[in-house]
Amino acid sequence: MTSQLLIPLLVFLPILVGIVLCLVAGKKSSWISDIATSFSGLMVIAAIALLCAVHSAQGNSEAVGLIQPQIVFGPSWMELKLPFAIQGHSVNWQLQLGADSFSAMMVLLTSLVTFAVLMTARTQITERRDLYDGMILITQGILMGIFLAMDLLLFYVFFEAVLIPIILLMNIWGDPKESLRASRKFLLFTLAGSIPMIVGIVGIVLQSATADRASTVLLPQLSAIAFESQLTRGVTENFATSQFLILAALMLGFGIKMALLPLHSWLPTTYSASHPNTTALIAAVVGKLGVYGLLRIVLPLTPVALSVYYQIVVGTLGAIAIVYGALIALRQTDLRRLMAYSSLSHMGFVTLGLMAMNREGIAGATIQMFNHGLITAAIFLMIGMIEQRRGRLVLGNENFGLAAAYPHLGFLMVFFTLAGAGLPGLNSFVGEILALMGMLRVSAGIVGIAVLGTVLGAWYALRVLQHVMFSSDGKTNKRDAATADIGWADWAALAPLALLCVVIGVRPSTFTDTMKVDVDRMAVSLEPAAKALHPTIDTLAVVKK
Amino acid sequence: MSVSEQMLVSLKWMSPALVLLFGGCLILCSSVFLSPLKPTGVDNRRNLMASISMFFLVAAAAFHLLVTSHISTNTIDSCLFRFDSISIAAERLALIGGVILILLSWSLAPKNYLPEFYGCLLLILAAIPIIGASNDLIAMFLGLELVSIPTYIMLSIAKGDNASFEAALKYFTLSGFASCFFLLGISFLYGLSGSMDLGSVCAMLGNGGGGKLGLLAVLLILCGLAFRITAVPFHFYGPDVFEGTSLTMAAVMSYLPKVAGFVAMVRLFGASPVGESLTPMVVPVLLVTSVLTMCIGNALAVAQTSLRRLLGYSSIAHTGYLLLGFAALILSSAEPQVLFTYLAAYAAMTLGVFACLAEVDEAGGQSIVVGDLSGMYYRRPAASIAMAICLLSLIGLPLTAGFVAKLQLFFAAGGANRWDMTVCVWVMAINAAVAAGYYFRLLSKLFERGLDLPPLRLWRPSLFLAYSLCAVLTIVWFFQPTSM
Repeated sequence: MTSQLLIPLLVFLPILVGIVLCLVAGKKSSWISDIATSFSGLMVIAAIALLCAVHSAQGNSEAVGLIQPQIVFGPSWMELKLPFAIQGHSVNWQLQLGADSFSAMMVLLTSLVTFAVLMTARTQITERRDLYDGMILITQGILMGIFLAMDLLLFYVFFEAVLIPIILLMNIWGDPKESLRASRKFLLFTLAGSIPMIVGIVGIVLQSATADRASTVLLPQLSAIAFESQLTRGVTENFATSQFLILAALMLGFGIKMALLPLHSWLPTTYSASHPNTTALIAAVVGKLGVYGLLRIVLPLTPVALSVYYQIVVGTLGAIAIVYGALIALRQTDLRRLMAYSSLSHMGFVTLGLMAMNREGIAGATIQMFNHGLITAAIFLMIGMIEQRRGRLVLGNENFGLAAAYPHLGFLMVFFTLAGAGLPGLNSFVGEILALMGMLRVSAGIVGIAVLGTVLGAWYALRVLQHVMFSSDGKTNKRDAATADIGWADWAALAPLALLCVVIGVRPSTFTDTMKVDVDRMAVSLEPAAKALHPTIDTLAVVKK
Repeated sequence: MSVSEQMLVSLKWMSPALVLLFGGCLILCSSVFLSPLKPTGVDNRRNLMASISMFFLVAAAAFHLLVTSHISTNTIDSCLFRFDSISIAAERLALIGGVILILLSWSLAPKNYLPEFYGCLLLILAAIPIIGASNDLIAMFLGLELVSIPTYIMLSIAKGDNASFEAALKYFTLSGFASCFFLLGISFLYGLSGSMDLGSVCAMLGNGGGGKLGLLAVLLILCGLAFRITAVPFHFYGPDVFEGTSLTMAAVMSYLPKVAGFVAMVRLFGASPVGESLTPMVVPVLLVTSVLTMCIGNALAVAQTSLRRLLGYSSIAHTGYLLLGFAALILSSAEPQVLFTYLAAYAAMTLGVFACLAEVDEAGGQSIVVGDLSGMYYRRPAASIAMAICLLSLIGLPLTAGFVAKLQLFFAAGGANRWDMTVCVWVMAINAAVAAGYYFRLLSKLFERGLDLPPLRLWRPSLFLAYSLCAVLTIVWFFQPTSM
């Protein structure tokens, strides 16, 4: 019972506190950032508590659908009556927030990254920091809302609402020259996908209603309906065709948000125009919304059409994104853009894992979402620290040798870069290997392309380290007070992220055990759906009769 | 129920409209007795006129609340008027729009014609409940004319320059045309059914008694109403009139005729089904009109640099969305409430944008082309924030009423379960994405940095109230969609 209250606490409290902070911002007081930071620290604890609660509540309930939140929050005031009828039933939808292990992990990631962002903001953000802190907290609350939404409407509302604070964060604290154009590009790209996406959502809800069953927006029920019709109608072209348009609408929305290859061009501009401190949050969490949407909505609700029309295509695009992003990153001279393309490349593994549509793939993709969030947040935060000390660096012939001047920063940079490059023993290795293993059951060709990316990834990562951190003694630049090494606040921000990288790398079962139940549940529907169309696919799951 | 009792109940029901009518006539007549305006007395006269009209509006609202909370609906349904959820919703739309419009025009109404302006405004506001309650074709026609005729007057007195006269003349001519279409349509219906009563007309159409002539009559009536709601191909006057006339009048034109037209359409065809025989013909016509209206409206809005024309075309596009909802209504997959919700949201967001533009104008800025809004956030923060909220709602982002309104339309249209409706839903989604582009262009102009223009200091409480009311309603209606 008490664990239920964690959910509104995690969603609404940050928004509330954020709004209050925004309202009182502007008075010359330093305590506002203290409040914001300690509040986000509390949110980390709440997120950990949620993950534990989800872990201990597993296996309590008999699952009906592919999505079965272990903790549910759906009070009666979250009921929506609308003035029209679907299939003769008046519309009376119960909205619900809830958490399963996927949500809980993303919530943990969001809270950790927010905490880190607010910690580093104390030194990074000099103008209107109170307002910044408030905005970050509002963003955090909305992001939690996306991850904890257990119905289509709340999901969509939060999914769209997050654009507003992000646009403001980009514009007010971003690069004065680029940010307006970049934010316009970001918003228009996103809206071009997400407004048509509502058609897909409407379609799913309308299809859920029959003469003797009222429509619903709840994901557990919808996924149960989807699974039931998969069993009764079988995996046939006919069934897939009926979902084609719905899936197309959803894939357009999520595809743009996850920067699927031809739709990716908003990503580098957005990441480079925002303040690196903001980019850390955007890249680590907002950049995951597209793949999270795939995992949460597309995979469980339209698995058949997905396997028929998109599995191989999107999987290939993911593999190409890995190589393409790495190749472009190799040629970048601006550190922010380089990391933006690197992010594009790494997210390819997540796409690959999801498109494998089997146990390893989904587990790998989920772990990798989490991992990439940790690493990319840390790296962008460190880019902010570097820029604060040396301005925007242009990589080229010059070697900066920052490691000699800032040994702590140098250590962390090396650590996170190696984690990102997939060094065994650190976290990315786990996620990537699982995703690749999953995909290997589907198509060896796609994996063949993707593996190239890991080599290229190491190459550009080491190139950055070489140019920025080493190859020079760094003595050409004077060290004074303004350019001291990173302080305790920065360590406090980055240390938890680093610690988790090691924990996942050494003992991945900490998280995979929690996810196991949910992954298995999904695989029961997904693996047969994929196998029916691609008989060569090797599957493990047994169809539940 | 005896005749006198019926009379009494209908008087009670009509009381808001009667109050408004009485007030409108009183203010109009007062112009005869008022002393000529001295240059120093302008502000007093403005305050006086606006507060008198606001008083009548508030009185009408009080009667509305009193009546709706004390008398059950549908007590009378075989007379000239009929009172049900549609008439109540129409009354509410008129009252909400009226409050915003009076606040908006408080400091902007043409100073030489103050009594005429407010008198006409109240008459139009009175006409909308009459249309909503009409149970008879003649009553409805009178209601529609009660919207048009004061509009002609208001358009001609709005600005007093050539462009404004051109706008007035254009509107007058075309509106006369539209009324003729409408009249022709209802005369055919009378010829076919032998009655002006809406119930018997609908029964006749429902039984398939109309044949081809019945279809023609329905289409003619729809043509007449399409003009009021600026549906393609009757939209040409819209942007011209918006551009030619004053800002206040443009706000009036963007909202009141549209409400009148849609209320009339819902009253005619929405409450009782048009009948199996007509639906296959009427619905495709409506869908084609709807698709053309939204596509042309949005495509032309994208190309505009003039703010007024942009808003004009955007209002056309919204008509397109509403027509799709109306088609769903005819196919009975939606309640009339869906349309009224959209109209209420539309009132808050569009009138809010107009109020913010008026504020910019009044404070010494300009609001002619899109570029005039550059950096407005740093010159006029409150108005810019309100405008941003209204624009977000026009885009249809969540946390605003625009989202709920669009979502309901999507569900209503999708729920009809027909392939052509599904296509229209897609077209609407694409259109909404296109529209997001030009609304966001305005939005990003507001927050443009680095221009160093002087802040605008002059402050008008009425305009501040107007746009903050719109912004607040826009947000509140997202969380309480049923209260619209």
